[in-house]
Amino acid sequence: MEQVADETSINEKEISEDLLKGGDKLKGSLKYLANDSKIVRVKGVQKKFQLGATTVHILKGVDVDIERGEFVMLMGPSGCGKSTLLHIIYGLEPPTEGNIFIENESIWDHSKNWRAFFRNQYIGFIPQQAFWLKSLTVVENVAISGFIGGRGYRESVERAYKTLEVVDMEKWAHYRPFDLSGGQQQKVAFARSLLLNPKFIIADEPTGNLDQKSGVQLMDLIKQFNEKFGITVLMVTHNPDQVKYATRVVKMVDGLIVNNTSEQKEIESIKGDV
Amino acid sequence: MSDIFKKNEDRAKKGIKESWKETHSGISTTMILYIGIRNLKISKTRSILTIGGVALGIGIITFLLCMGFGIQKLIVNEVTKNNPRNVIDVSNGNLDNFVSLNDEFSGKIKAIDGVESMGRRVNAGGKVTVGEFQTDVVIFGADENYLELSKISYRGEKGKYSDSENRAIISERLAKLLGYEDISLAIGQKINYSIVVTKDISSNISEERIAENNETEIVGVVEGENNAFIYVPFEIIKNNFSIDLAQSGKVLVGNMEKFDNVKQQLDQLGFVTESINDLIKDIDSFFNTMRVALVVFGVIIMSISVMGMLNTLSVSLLQRTREVGILKALGSKRADIFKMFILESVIISFIGGVLGFLGGYGFSFLVNEILIVLGRKQNVSLSFFVYLPAYFIMAISGFIIFLGLATGFMPAFRAAKIHALEALRYE
Repeated sequence: MEQVADETSINEKEISEDLLKGGDKLKGSLKYLANDSKIVRVKGVQKKFQLGATTVHILKGVDVDIERGEFVMLMGPSGCGKSTLLHIIYGLEPPTEGNIFIENESIWDHSKNWRAFFRNQYIGFIPQQAFWLKSLTVVENVAISGFIGGRGYRESVERAYKTLEVVDMEKWAHYRPFDLSGGQQQKVAFARSLLLNPKFIIADEPTGNLDQKSGVQLMDLIKQFNEKFGITVLMVTHNPDQVKYATRVVKMVDGLIVNNTSEQKEIESIKGDV
Repeated sequence: MSDIFKKNEDRAKKGIKESWKETHSGISTTMILYIGIRNLKISKTRSILTIGGVALGIGIITFLLCMGFGIQKLIVNEVTKNNPRNVIDVSNGNLDNFVSLNDEFSGKIKAIDGVESMGRRVNAGGKVTVGEFQTDVVIFGADENYLELSKISYRGEKGKYSDSENRAIISERLAKLLGYEDISLAIGQKINYSIVVTKDISSNISEERIAENNETEIVGVVEGENNAFIYVPFEIIKNNFSIDLAQSGKVLVGNMEKFDNVKQQLDQLGFVTESINDLIKDIDSFFNTMRVALVVFGVIIMSISVMGMLNTLSVSLLQRTREVGILKALGSKRADIFKMFILESVIISFIGGVLGFLGGYGFSFLVNEILIVLGRKQNVSLSFFVYLPAYFIMAISGFIIFLGLATGFMPAFRAAKIHALEALRYE
């Protein structure tokens, strides 16, 4: 990773400047509180699904706060509600009860279009499996968030190219995404999440489909951006080895948070539990 | 983006929802078009087949209508070549009729509202003599207007045949009978004619008589006529031989809106009227019926094309469900997704429509040229007749856009409705 940093130091500077400006566009419209250390607040969130005559209680009242600049890992056994919580925070799935505040804004009190724009402008997203528009090149796929936000082709692609340079993937810019390996695709997906200088990145098991080496490379990259630019990261993972990247680990079991700690010793103990 | 920041700042006081709604413009139409075209390129075979289907449908319809409209126009042009649509033929019908185109009725006809002018003609038997040579001919006493309204063309200086001058126009057959193989040589020659004056054409005589040895100068020859006849001015034979009862005439209607009214008033005066308009109405009616049949045929062809398009768009939607998912997850609005799919459909129908239209028109052009060449071999003179009225071109343009919108609506609506998470989980 040091090699990447050396090769891209100039671009990193540019990106760094951009990233520091990130969130400016929200100041006018969000109740943006620079002094508020909490970037995300989850308040009493419950989620129920109706499966025929049966009501499945996925989340049974979740409360958790995420501080600005934290690297939070959401862990727990399959079916405990991690991904559902992640989707509710990302604004894709509504809670049955409770609320989500991001930058003090109650995101579920707004319209669908508002949340769509909010996701586009404010949150970076890395899915477990990278999804692409197969007719577009790698650089165009990275630029897609810019297109969605109403930016022009040239501006978005130039920005996407710089972002690819940062993750050392610029030489693949004009390939088709499916020509890349899984690890390369996830690096590109990370570049896509960075395009609009997010303050907050949500990652849903981003290394779940990668081999160990590619997984470590991607985690190093995400951690680097978390530390250098203070981007808050919320990540769902099953891999206990990855807790070393976290500044906080939230463990869920059966729709409830059973452990929420930033203490290194406790984090190590959670690693042992998972 | 600086504009957007400023917009946000300016509107912060108005409330967050309003401000964000206004700034989320979504993907630009240019970008959607770009993505749509790239999607078509990536599935080349499927795109070519779908566009080909639309092109074939539109092409066949265009070809059939081009030929239909063209043949209709050709027939109408042939029919109206010597019979303008705004001219009514008037005759006294039969000998028992109490009306005749004398000066009194001529005045009444000219006084009808909408009548611009009229011409009269009387037919009589007679002979033409040049030196020792003599031949029977039909003598037409016709005024200038009549010749003009009948679109009678002749070789010779125009304007020399006038109501007040004792001059004549003869047929090519007569010119040749008189020994002028080169009909131009007949022009300027003097001939004598005699005319049989009967009670049917003169109100001032009690018995039939023959007015002989009337000299006149030939000023024109009607080409391609196999009958021997001669035109002399009606006013001349009226003044010289008291022939005042014309049997037929042509009435020019200045304003087509008054055409039916004029025709009705002529009927009321007791004349028998005929108009090429009646025939043209029959021709139009026939071709309108034929067009309905063509439209039904076209609808069947287009239904097949539409099914092809629907199939392509539905398969495209299934294959791109995850793309829809990621676009929504990254912030696309429903409207963006809807636009994306519907524009893709419009692109297919537009390219197919334009290719089909040009192909159909080009093919009808080719068929027309082949018919002209074949006709020439059979000594049939055919002109270029392929024709499409401007309104049809407008209609087909509108139809192409409508086709794209209508066909794309359901797949686009379904794509827009897909939930982001369901789309991302789609296998």
